[in-house]
Amino acid sequence: MKKFIVAALCVLLVGSLATGCNREKTVREDAGMAVGGTGAGANSNKVTKDIYNGEEVKIAYVAHDLGTPNNQGWKEGIERECASWENIKVDSYNAEGSAETQVQIMSDIISQQYDAIIIQCSDGTALAPSVKQAEEAGIPVITVNLDADTVHSALVMAVDYDAGRMAADQMASEIGEQGEIAIIQGVPGLKRTDNLERGFRETIANYPGIEIVDAQSASFEKDTAITVMNSFLQSHPNLKGVFAINDAMAEGAALAAESAGKKGQLSIWGADGEKDALAMIESGDMTGTIYTNSWDEGSTAAKIALLMIGSEYSYNVLTKTPQVIMEPIVVTKDTVGDISEEDRW
Amino acid sequence: MKKINWSKYSKPIILVVFCIILTILRPTTFPTVSNIANVLWSVSVIGIMVCGTIFVFLVGGIDLSIATLCGFSAVVTVEVIHALGDTTGSVFAAVLAALVVGALAGCAHGIIITTFNIPAFLVTFATQSVFLGLSMVITKNKIVSCTGPAAFTAIGSMKILGFPLPIYFMIVIAIISWFVLRKTVFGRWIYAVGGNPSASAISGINVKVATILCYVFSGMTTALGGVVLASMTREAKAALGSGYTNDVITAGVIGGVSLLGGVGTVPGAIFGAVLMGLLNNGLNLLSVPSTHAGLVKGLVIIVAVGFDAMQHKDQARKKAGFLFFKKKSA
Repeated sequence: MKKFIVAALCVLLVGSLATGCNREKTVREDAGMAVGGTGAGANSNKVTKDIYNGEEVKIAYVAHDLGTPNNQGWKEGIERECASWENIKVDSYNAEGSAETQVQIMSDIISQQYDAIIIQCSDGTALAPSVKQAEEAGIPVITVNLDADTVHSALVMAVDYDAGRMAADQMASEIGEQGEIAIIQGVPGLKRTDNLERGFRETIANYPGIEIVDAQSASFEKDTAITVMNSFLQSHPNLKGVFAINDAMAEGAALAAESAGKKGQLSIWGADGEKDALAMIESGDMTGTIYTNSWDEGSTAAKIALLMIGSEYSYNVLTKTPQVIMEPIVVTKDTVGDISEEDRW
Repeated sequence: MKKINWSKYSKPIILVVFCIILTILRPTTFPTVSNIANVLWSVSVIGIMVCGTIFVFLVGGIDLSIATLCGFSAVVTVEVIHALGDTTGSVFAAVLAALVVGALAGCAHGIIITTFNIPAFLVTFATQSVFLGLSMVITKNKIVSCTGPAAFTAIGSMKILGFPLPIYFMIVIAIISWFVLRKTVFGRWIYAVGGNPSASAISGINVKVATILCYVFSGMTTALGGVVLASMTREAKAALGSGYTNDVITAGVIGGVSLLGGVGTVPGAIFGAVLMGLLNNGLNLLSVPSTHAGLVKGLVIIVAVGFDAMQHKDQARKKAGFLFFKKKSA
């Protein structure tokens, strides 16, 4: 009976998300939502709080690097979602790109007895013990984009493999399914960006006329991407397209192309959909990007956190982390106008 | 026949050897004007900064705040432009404001270091955090984009005779620094202060003023680097220029600048910056995957610097041998 109630709660959770938000698409993996084998929920430390009756609640957001538009977007999304209740406090922590710092921050947060943690795990393996410790202490952990290698309350993510696939298909049709293209990589070892690149490469493999002639890292940095793109343009004068793993690097590539007098002649794709990239698509400097609404993503993570705080539902009924996947939007010059000003993060 | 002292030219020789190797490996893509322009463009920011920070190194100091001061001056530039509107005049004012900020920051460094006698390492380590904090407060830790007036974007990317403007900045700053260090009394002071501060104080050099001026100039070149970087990327953010502290110090040290003070030249520092740029460019042109790039880069730097050091050691040894020989015969 208990198992049935827990399963029903899970369905309710996913169901309410699916109807509650207009942009998000929820994917429910049946195996993932299955109830754990041994007396699930019996030894849970889960504390429930009645948020809607003024009980004090504090949520911690542990960013990978608050200097990035994505991390800022999530922060604002979380804050907006919680702004309607005065009893909910959101604290943001900046790990400045370091997984070790995130681990330290996590242990501070756990000892301060926060009610929920929203985190983008810089390193899923390194953070797994911290995430597990938080969940064991009864603090639900919701990861954003970058997962932790342990079962926890939820993962809210933008598509990764599919974003690479979409960019590949778009670029292929744009350059007439033949020619030389290159990839500007980020820092290897991040699941999201590795999947993005894999999605792009595996899809391009379906087009025999297209050859990926080069791939170099620009460490997610715009200024480094300018240098990398300059060398691509040197080595491969017939280059027809470039796929950058994030928008900042795509913007850098576009600046390099402009300076080489090739503005608008190359197919330059990024992924993320930050507002500067959208502006460059509008001006014709960049070709397109795979847009995800970061504000929505942040507020979705906050919604789940609030649901978790208010319910007895606990991570130890899960065998797999439930995922909520944000809907990707392919943005080109023709469709960029569809993304309204208030959705540009 | 006059014997040529090859060891004096070891640095240019290394660069030439490098260029020859890359020309052989990539005959169509490496030795082109546009590629050379790209290499110089990519090192111009480091080049501009190292020409100023070399003054600090020479007086035995160090500046760990390069990266965040660079970011802060970029933020100042872009914010001033946004405040004054999209005109050429506002760009002028913005650049001036950034340079003033850089000079003030350097002045503060110099005064704190000389007045309280605190190691430069500690002072600049602390101010690095201060500058980062200031940028974060001003920008709310967001990216402030600035595609604004043409005069602004021109700073970082306008081309004259096929070479982007920052390269000319680098050359001008390098000439100024070289001239000050080599041809003026003040330059001799700086070497003296770095070599032996107490001896130079006794011999009538105002060590305090000399040190402060070094930090002021270093702050200004760092600020100029920030302006160029902001213009190149058309944005400013607190983290802009992160990693440049290491790059600038590395360029200096590769070029033979001693972190203990008193030793180093502007051409040497520029050599260090260009060598790093050539290396990165070569690795890119040869399509070395990023997983291997670090390994190759490290090894090549060791070989190049080792070769350079060996040449100078030889020279020192020869001199020592000569003295020894003379003494014996005497």
